[in-house]
Amino acid sequence: MFLTRTMPTLLAFLFGAVAVMIYYVPHTVAQEIERELSLWLRILYAFAYFLGLYSILNLHWTRISRREGGWAYSGVAIASFLVMFFFVVYNDGAGPFAPQATAGGYQWMFTYIHVACSSTMFSMLAFYIASAAYRTFRARSSDAAILLVAAIILMVGRVPVGRAISEFFPEAAAWLMEVPNLAAKRGIVLGVSLGAIATSLRIIFGIERSYLGGGEE
Amino acid sequence: MDLLNIDRRIIFVFVFIGVAIPLMLDFSFPIKATEPVQRVFDEFERVAAEEEPVVLVSFSYGASTVPEMQPMALAILRHAFSRDIKVVAICLWPEAPGLAQQALAQVASEYGKEYGTDYAFLGYKPGLWAPIINMGQDFHDAWPRDARGTLVGDIPVTSAIRDLNDFNLVFDLAAGDSIEFWWIPFGVEKYKFAFSGGCTAVMAPDLYPFLQSDQLRGMIGGLAGAAEYEHLMEIPGSATAGMRAQSVTHLIIVAFILLGNAAYFASRRKVTA
Repeated sequence: MFLTRTMPTLLAFLFGAVAVMIYYVPHTVAQEIERELSLWLRILYAFAYFLGLYSILNLHWTRISRREGGWAYSGVAIASFLVMFFFVVYNDGAGPFAPQATAGGYQWMFTYIHVACSSTMFSMLAFYIASAAYRTFRARSSDAAILLVAAIILMVGRVPVGRAISEFFPEAAAWLMEVPNLAAKRGIVLGVSLGAIATSLRIIFGIERSYLGGGEE
Repeated sequence: MDLLNIDRRIIFVFVFIGVAIPLMLDFSFPIKATEPVQRVFDEFERVAAEEEPVVLVSFSYGASTVPEMQPMALAILRHAFSRDIKVVAICLWPEAPGLAQQALAQVASEYGKEYGTDYAFLGYKPGLWAPIINMGQDFHDAWPRDARGTLVGDIPVTSAIRDLNDFNLVFDLAAGDSIEFWWIPFGVEKYKFAFSGGCTAVMAPDLYPFLQSDQLRGMIGGLAGAAEYEHLMEIPGSATAGMRAQSVTHLIIVAFILLGNAAYFASRRKVTA
């Protein structure tokens, strides 16, 4: 009970309260604590990559061993990882402890396979967005009609063809971004920030403990 | 009624044609810089007028956003090198080092810039905003060596840098929330340095409040922003070419939306009659 509930809550209070206070204190001691905490944060993030690696390899290996639907894709994922890992360690002949080579197998695969595939996946969104826009942007109510008109002005006004049609489009698009959009975004940011502060305080003072797992006691 | 529910494959074909044909043809639309992009350009010009100008460029994007972000990176690096501004590049995104190295090598060779004296590449550090806090306190402590393993204190371009305030400008190329949630709260607000950025088009609306408050001194938003920057630099590149495809595709989407609405109102009238 102490190790699973009390200790984590005390640590959350200690580090949460200290981190909030030192943000505003320019004293040397506070700065030194902040430096140490942020260094530890960087180390934790680095180790999180190992956790992520284990998680994704374990997921795909389980799919292969159970012969689940699409298990061959999991095989491709693991094979891709192993090939990439080999070339990173080989490092164009320089070995794993030398600075990353700017040429060789890894750079070639990164540029011509990884970048190409990732960009292609992201570009597919254009097709789905076009289809979704056609189906959803219907002037079914006055609110929807306002949204529709704003969307059309922005879509035309944010690309050079809008200026070729009329100066109205880029000017109206700029106004939409700088006035209604800005006002709404500022409201959202303030709301989200207040919510984040409230949640953080609940965690620091041990009121919110769902992050420990098991829900409320 | 068919116009109310067009097969999505037909829409896909139109979008494909709208992207592919303009990329193959050679025509252009008038490009004019919007205010946020002009502000970035003016910031670089301000930096160029200072003594021994040096900027920090943070690459915070990965492979999926290369078509949108890489032209932006090339455009600002061209501006910096053409005005003899020294560049220190870092990565806060694990996929970014390969992309940063490509951009730096390409533009440095275009302008005959030397590694070490004109620019340096320090590689990637994990920890999201934590390296920003460390750089604000002590740059050499946060980034002791460059990507080649050389001590940062031994590299001419970084030897005199003590913290983030020693840079005339910090510029973040962001595909995630690094501008809004890392650089502004943990960097700009804490250490008060000049900061500007570029982001994907989908993120740009989120950053307008920071433009107005001057926490962000200018913004290049998406491929359109990169094309505007290329226009200001008078060096048309892949972003300017991409504007042809983007313009035509936007018109196609608008045409489908209008068609869908026309069919919707026609069907309603029929039901009412």
